[in-house]
Amino acid sequence: MTMIRTEKINKSFGGLHVLRDISVSVEQGEVICIIGPSGGGKSTFLRSLNQLEKIDSGKIFVEEQLLLHRDKHTTVRRADKETYQRLLLEMGMVFQQFNLFGHKTVLENVTLAPMRVKKMTKAQAEEIGYALLDKVGLREKANEYPAKLSGGQQQRVAIARALAMEPKTMLFDEPTSALDPELVGDVLSVMKQLAEEGMTMLVVTHEMGFAREAADRVLFMADGMIAEQGPPEALFTNPQNERTRQFLTSIL
Amino acid sequence: MVWYLQLWATIYEGLEKIWVWTPALLSSTVVTLELTIASVTTALVLGVFLALGKISRNRVVKSVTSAYVFFFRGTPLMMQLFFVYYAFPRMLMELVNNTVALQTGGSWAWLGTFFIEGPLSMENRFFAAYLAFSLNIAAYLAEIIRAAIQSIPKGQMEAAKSLGLSYHQGMALIVLPQSYRRMIPPVCNEFVMVLKDTSLVSTISLMDLTFQTSMIATNQVSTLVYLPAMVIYLIMSAALTILFNGLEKKLSKYD
Ligand SMILES: Nc1ncnc2c1ncn2[C@@H]1O[C@H](COP(=O)(O)OP(=O)(O)O)[C@@H](O)[C@H]1O
Ligand SMILES: [Mg+2]
Repeated sequence: MTMIRTEKINKSFGGLHVLRDISVSVEQGEVICIIGPSGGGKSTFLRSLNQLEKIDSGKIFVEEQLLLHRDKHTTVRRADKETYQRLLLEMGMVFQQFNLFGHKTVLENVTLAPMRVKKMTKAQAEEIGYALLDKVGLREKANEYPAKLSGGQQQRVAIARALAMEPKTMLFDEPTSALDPELVGDVLSVMKQLAEEGMTMLVVTHEMGFAREAADRVLFMADGMIAEQGPPEALFTNPQNERTRQFLTSIL
Repeated sequence: MVWYLQLWATIYEGLEKIWVWTPALLSSTVVTLELTIASVTTALVLGVFLALGKISRNRVVKSVTSAYVFFFRGTPLMMQLFFVYYAFPRMLMELVNNTVALQTGGSWAWLGTFFIEGPLSMENRFFAAYLAFSLNIAAYLAEIIRAAIQSIPKGQMEAAKSLGLSYHQGMALIVLPQSYRRMIPPVCNEFVMVLKDTSLVSTISLMDLTFQTSMIATNQVSTLVYLPAMVIYLIMSAALTILFNGLEKKLSKYD
């Protein structure tokens, strides 16, 4: 099944054309890494998928159902309210800055949405919550507040929080960029484990090691376009596009 | 040695007078406190809604709330008090009498006299003061609350939305609770100001601490009464500050 498909999506901020006719499809179980220079539109692309940004034009399909079709800044068609909500929840997101809820404990961060959105009981949500904290290796921190945790631990909690809504696809926006180098590994290993379990993942990252190891496909994005894509090995060792080549030399 | 004894005699006499005035001062202090607490709590609730209105994306809501805040911050509190107490009920009465009441043959006349005879009658000074103060303080609190809400990083609302929470849930469960601690110092400041500003109600003869003090000063021909009165204000201000410091500590537990 195609988990996410975009058809010619465009987005501008004022006069700045940030996404230009982006068409991508993501198959079930696929792990896609998006690389590219800062300002190239990678975050905006991910944020357009789960509606944190509203696209100007184009179509977004989730699990082969139309989520949204817009043209000239107006909505042409949109899934009915119930489907729309359900499809949005099929995408979980992990942010560069973690964005944990500072006034809630680690466990509360994970259980809040299942209780408020899925109307689970506290006991049900906590059962899931503890299982997910186990998975990311942080069960013993369940009752701490986020500020007491290292960046790496906070990001793992953020992953558990997103997983608690049982999304089919996970969107990661530079999940390790705000971390001290020694904390990156723990977060990446949680992500690798997710990938091995068959989670569909779209990951904006500069961790070439992770991309080589876990990605099925790498997209190189610059100036709001996907300039090149391919399997990681091919793209890293033998880039076809001049921009890709420049970018790869600049970061290696 | 004589001047020394005379000094003590004078001080003793003064303390004796203060002792006699104390019950009257304290009972008017209750009025000051009641007015402050009632207006401030009402204003807090109203202020949250005004703040949410000011950051709303709905243009009508935004301009109505902005106009409200602009009006109440841009006109003198004393005039607002007079307006609520004298002007508004009379204006309403004339308006109703000249329009609706004439045409409907008097069946709507009750509306014209409703405020004058009811909640805003001349004797009902406390209610008028409470109303004017609540409306005024809400405008100031709205700005404080808006600033606190906007100081919470955008990522918090985005994380809430990415988990399927609505804007209202994100606001109520995530953003507002984290903004409370940031509003405490300025809100405390505002409350202390209100406590002192309530002395304006002496202008509509509401028997608060300030009005009582000036009555005693006039009737007893003694200026000494201002001292205990100011001490009472100081104690209340200090108590408020201590209360809010404690609250801030309690809300800081998570960072
Ligand atoms: N909310 C916004 N308002 C205005 N400009 C924005 C906004 N978000 C992103 N941009 C601009 O859009 C461009 C693409 O940003 P972004 O998607 O964050 O790139 P990337 O994630 O690849 O670094 C940048 O030039 C950025 O400044
Ligand atoms: Mg980015």
